[in-house]
Amino acid sequence: MTGELPGPAPEERPHPSGRRNEQGIRIDPEAEAEPEVRREVLSALVDHEPGVLAEVSGLFARRQFNIESLTVGPTMTGGLARMTIVVEETDPGVEQAKRQLRKLVPVHAVRELEAATERELALIKVGDDDPAGVAAVAEMYGGEAVEAGPEVVTVELTGTEAEIDAAVEAFERFGVREVARTGTAALAGGTEFTAHETHNNE
Amino acid sequence: MVGNDAFQEADTTGITRPVTKASYFASDPDTVGDTVGEAFELARKGRQGPTLVDLPKDVSNAEDVARPGPAAGPETQVVPDEADPEAVTRAATALANAERPVILAGGGVIKGNASEELRQFAIDHGVPVVTTMPGVGAFDETHELAMEMAGMHGTGYANMAVTHCDVMLAVGTRFDDRLTGGVDTFAPEAEIAHVDIDASEISKNVHADYPLVGDASTVLRQLDEALARSPDTDAWRDQCTHWETEYPMDYDAPEDEPLKPQFVVEAFDEATDADTIVTTGVGQHQMWAVQYWTFTEPRTWISSHGLGTMGYGLPAAIGAKVAAPEKEVVCFDGDGSFLMTSQGLSVAVREDLDITVCILNNEAVGMVRQWQDAFFEGRRMASEYPWGPDFATLADAFGAKGFTLDAYDDVADTIAAARDYDGPSVIDCHIDPREDVYPMVASGGANGLFALQEEHL
Ligand SMILES: Cc1ncc(C[n+]2csc(CCOP(=O)(O)OP(=O)(O)O)c2C)c(N)n1
Ligand SMILES: [Mg+2]
Repeated sequence: MTGELPGPAPEERPHPSGRRNEQGIRIDPEAEAEPEVRREVLSALVDHEPGVLAEVSGLFARRQFNIESLTVGPTMTGGLARMTIVVEETDPGVEQAKRQLRKLVPVHAVRELEAATERELALIKVGDDDPAGVAAVAEMYGGEAVEAGPEVVTVELTGTEAEIDAAVEAFERFGVREVARTGTAALAGGTEFTAHETHNNE
Repeated sequence: MVGNDAFQEADTTGITRPVTKASYFASDPDTVGDTVGEAFELARKGRQGPTLVDLPKDVSNAEDVARPGPAAGPETQVVPDEADPEAVTRAATALANAERPVILAGGGVIKGNASEELRQFAIDHGVPVVTTMPGVGAFDETHELAMEMAGMHGTGYANMAVTHCDVMLAVGTRFDDRLTGGVDTFAPEAEIAHVDIDASEISKNVHADYPLVGDASTVLRQLDEALARSPDTDAWRDQCTHWETEYPMDYDAPEDEPLKPQFVVEAFDEATDADTIVTTGVGQHQMWAVQYWTFTEPRTWISSHGLGTMGYGLPAAIGAKVAAPEKEVVCFDGDGSFLMTSQGLSVAVREDLDITVCILNNEAVGMVRQWQDAFFEGRRMASEYPWGPDFATLADAFGAKGFTLDAYDDVADTIAAARDYDGPSVIDCHIDPREDVYPMVASGGANGLFALQEEHL
């Protein structure tokens, strides 16, 4: 085919030795390391109206952010809800997630929570062959039986995600029939505001 | 009715959400006016972009509705007045100490009406300027600091400058992969100062050492004030000039072969004024248009850029002519692209729009043919298309004016006749179907390894 242009061929040109990694960060090519993925809790203050959840989850799916859980519920301010989103991303990935969230019109404020108080609620339905054993495990994890019917006992407990993982595992020996978990809800530690109107997408 | 799959119901807001800044469903006749106002404000605010309002039939039919208040954008969207002064100071220091600085001007410079500030800044401080494709026109391509467009089909000298710079001031660009090639080799030695009004563009694809979130003109002014002295760029500018002579955009145009598209683009450029607006479809013709037309003014280059939507050229030309009736509008289109929206000629005739379409007809979806040749051992599949209509006859059938162009000797006269015609005209320009677009950076490849011919790929 035609259309060639004059000039030195690619291999005849000088080439810099520098490199960037996948995140576009300049690196020492000799010492390239896999970027670390971290678990981060994001809290967003959003309009409490239909479609917002779809908008946020659509954003995360579209941009392929890794999300572990997403919960939403009303706040004390009428019309506003709080969303807690747990993501697993590299540093630039976490930044991107926050910035993309802020661009959504129903999103008022987004913060990354450090030293947050995190809790999740779980309902665990187990067989009732050993009621005393179930009660003992429930007590150990700070839970309680909320329904004891024929053949099954449903235990309610709250804790961090890791605690609930451990509790579910401990209940396995009674035969766990079903589990329903809410995903993590979180508030900032201490006197810090979590995500508040004063943070208006700063 | 909504949600019941009624006649012609589609989830319009749902479908459009990923491609708009916001998509509103106006369900209340009393607030619909405010919603429309907000949608317009938001479209203009910060980084401009489309918004959508879905108006259900009962809302558009409603009577005695409340009058809307003054249009206001959503409170949640805050646009910073200026960039963080501390980051500005650090960026200015890096720039002042740079030995090989480059300005990368993106489409945000044009959208933000910052071309004037950018030109002044580059000239005052002697910094060479490369542009992205949407940034074409942000800088005067005839200026000695102009390195023109970088990226996949950018000039060799622009790609050399980008590859070897030590500080890059990138303004209003999203570092699209057609610009960067593989990010591993993109400006691999450069510290990057990134100016953008959209914070989510900072460090999205390429890490910004100096993030400068704000309006382009404002931040350029901040940088100018913070710059204690201009960088010493004499040697670097000599190097850039050397690359310009080493990698010229010189093509062969043998008289006894079919017309070369580059020649036609240059002939059109010579015949028209500097403020002529050029629009395109997508493909090889688009690349020849951007490469061989010399752009000097912002808002004279209109293309679909990163979305790559064939069929864009004619509707864009119609829109441009309606928006700027005093300016000449030329659409370079591909035979494939033109076929996608050629019914728009009917609108152009109805509205009596004086536009000139030049179809660079290679009887092929040429860009696809070029890739099949280069990357699939020439196994051509559905890329040659000798079944296209006679475009001149087609134009006449619409009530526009058709021309056919085959020979070098007729180029000037045909261009003159088509431009003189008062109304929409179409030149079916039969070009060399073998012609490929170079330079070319392979997808994901290094900008500095741009190919000048197929063997380099
Ligand atoms: C709507 C649409 N369909 C397909 C493509 C993929 N594509 C990119 S360039 C190209 C060829 C365009 O052919 P033509 O308009 O004749 O331009 P040429 O490359 O021949 O100049 C195609 C099919 C696209 N970008 N847009
Ligand atoms: Mg074609």
